[in-house]
Formats: sequence, structure tokens, C-alpha cells
Amino acid sequence: MDELTLLYSYQVVGAMLLGIGIVGFLARRNMIVIFLSVEMMLQGVSVSLVSWGRFNNDWGGQVLTVFVITVAACEAAIALALVLGLFRRSGVLDVLYWQSLREANQEPYIEHELPEPPPEPLKSWPHLTPAGVEPRIEEDLHRSHV
Amino acid sequence: MTGVQGMFVTATLLGALGMWLMLPRRGFQKRRWGALLAVVSLGLFAAQVPPLGATLDRTVFDVLALVTLVSAVCTVTFRSPVYSAVWFGLTLLGTSGLFLFQGAQFLSMATITIYAGAILVTFLFVLMLSDPRGRAYYDRLSWEAMLSASAGAVMVGVLTMTLSKVFSPDAAGPPVPVKPGSAAAAASPGETPTAALPAPPSAQALEANVLSAQHVARLGGELFGRHLLAVEAAGALLFVALLGATAMMAQGKIERFQRSHHGDG
Repeated sequence: MDELTLLYSYQVVGAMLLGIGIVGFLARRNMIVIFLSVEMMLQGVSVSLVSWGRFNNDWGGQVLTVFVITVAACEAAIALALVLGLFRRSGVLDVLYWQSLREANQEPYIEHELPEPPPEPLKSWPHLTPAGVEPRIEEDLHRSHV
Repeated sequence: MTGVQGMFVTATLLGALGMWLMLPRRGFQKRRWGALLAVVSLGLFAAQVPPLGATLDRTVFDVLALVTLVSAVCTVTFRSPVYSAVWFGLTLLGTSGLFLFQGAQFLSMATITIYAGAILVTFLFVLMLSDPRGRAYYDRLSWEAMLSASAGAVMVGVLTMTLSKVFSPDAAGPPVPVKPGSAAAAASPGETPTAALPAPPSAQALEANVLSAQHVARLGGELFGRHLLAVEAAGALLFVALLGATAMMAQGKIERFQRSHHGDG
């Protein structure tokens, strides 16, 4: 395998993962999806690190990725505790709910577009087609024997 | 602007437009067109990279990279956060496959066990608290979708353009080692960036070190030898994070307990 091409391909994949993670981090409003995007950026960096480690024939890239995973685990623990606390107070996972925490000289973000109403929930549940024949209950056999 | 640069600019524009069309917004959400544009942009970016050697290697790598990137895009663009999390699990599987393809066996397993097994499942638990079907208003809107998509696409475009310069075939002659502070580096700053790349390792050298048969033993030796202090620090960090998370949860409980008892008395 051509090591230079391998390195190049992995760098491009890592850069794309990082870019997609940036889009998610900037655009989404659900706190959990924002954290998923951050983890995706870390994945992109890990891919890049591992391929550089192989190219330099050095364990440093893999060791550093082990530490990236460790820090991601810490981050997930703290972030989930925070998100749970925020969710208990507000009842929503929306980051915009907390915009009153901004600096005093910052303009508030005013939503100009309102979401379209969510689709109606199912009014009637699907039925199963009746199968088989209802057994005829014979009165004599099912009489109480008490 | 040369043809290659034009291609990068086109790919960046198409990628931004595709992501913008796919992000959740009110009305005019054309997911299919967005997906088509994003795939074209991905193809343009991928066309810059020369194919890997053997057919089997190339196919495996292409499939892994495609799975990773497509599921990453789905993670970011799906409205339902539960679907996002599940797609992210697929991204993790793709990444662990990429690690395995590089010969990083331990990392591949660690990614599946720690990320997909522990972190992602915990995220899913929290997601079950809220509306998991993506009906909440904040799942159906994005912040500044156009600007965000452009930021990510420009980032990818700039990075890949730099990479293509570093790895360009005309500059890939015999690598000349250039010391950062030497006279040659000072005389021609940034002229031939490939000069900074070391020679690619031979297969024998890789077998002896990174691709050694005793992979985990070697990695463990490296971790607990050269990086022992860092391992201890990471362990301490994990412990502190655990304590912090517990303390955060306990704090709210204590406050509520006191409030309810004040209310009673």
C-alpha cells in the first residue's frame, strides 16, 4: 500500500468529519445533538492522528487518540450532568432557552422563523385483520361445576 | 485560478448548498436535492485524492469512508435526535473500521466499546427524557443554516486545498529534510512544503514497529512506559469528572430537599 496516498486519504476523511461536526455544532439547537457534533469533530481529529502516527511509524498518534477518548468520556459525563440539570429546570433541550445568560451588551437573538406545526399524531391505530374462527362455546361443557 | 483550485471552490460551494438544503428549516427543505449536491461535492473532493494501491484495499477504504461520512451528514441533518444518535453510532463503527484498516486494532475496539457502548448509550438515555420523535420546535429549526453550512464547507475546502498542496505529485520528489531554523528554510519559506514530510516508512519498518504482531503489548508498553505520567493524569481527570458529575446531580437534590422541607415547616 502506498503510505503517502493512505495518509492523504485519511487526512481528507478527517477534515470532512471535522467540517461536518462544525456544521452540526453551529446549526443545531438541541443540546444533545450539539454534543454529538463535538464528539464527531474529535473523531475527525483521531482519524488524522492515527494516520500520522502510522506514517511516522510512531506510537504517538495512537497514544494521543487513547487520551482523546479518555477526555471525551470525561466530557460526556460532565456534559450529561449539565444537560440533565438544565433540562430539569427548563423542560426543554433548546439552547436558546438559556440566552438570558449572555453578556450585558449582547443583543438577544430573536427568532424570525417559526417552525411549521408538527405532524398530527395518529388518531386511529392500525387494526389487525381478524384471523381464525371464534370458537363456539358450548354452554353444557362450560357450566360451573360447583 | 487554476483548474484544481476551481474544482475545490466548486466542491466547497456545492457542499455548503447541500448542507444548507438538508439542515432542518421551515419550509423549502429539499433533502433529496441537498443530498445529491452533497454527494457531488464529496465526489469532487475525493477526485483530488489518488486511488489507493490494490483494488481490494481501495474498495474497503472507499466503503468505510463513505459509510463514515454519509452517516455523519445524517447525524447532523436528521430532525429526530434519536435518529441522530443512531446515525452517530454508525459513524463510530465506520471510524473504528478506518482505525482497523490502519492497523490500530486496540483503538478500533476501544472506539466501539467506549464510544458506541458507553457514551452513546448514555446520550440515548438522556434523549429518552425529551421528545424523541423530533416534534419539538427546536429540533425543527437551525441557527443560521446558511452561515453554519458555509463555515463547515469553507473549513473543509481550505483544509483539503492545503492537503492537496502538501501532497501534490509535482512536489513529491525525493524528500529533502529541512530543519525549521536552517538557512534553506529561511531563504524559501513555504516554497516546497513537501520538503517537511519525512520519507514514507518501508513495510519492514512498519512491521517492526506500528504494525507489529504484538500490537496491544507494544501499545501498552508505550502507554505505561513513556507516557506513564500522562496515563496517571488522565486517570485522575476521569475520577474528578466522575466526582463532579455526581456533585452536580447531588447539589440539585439537596436544594430541592431543603426547599420542600421549608415549604412543609
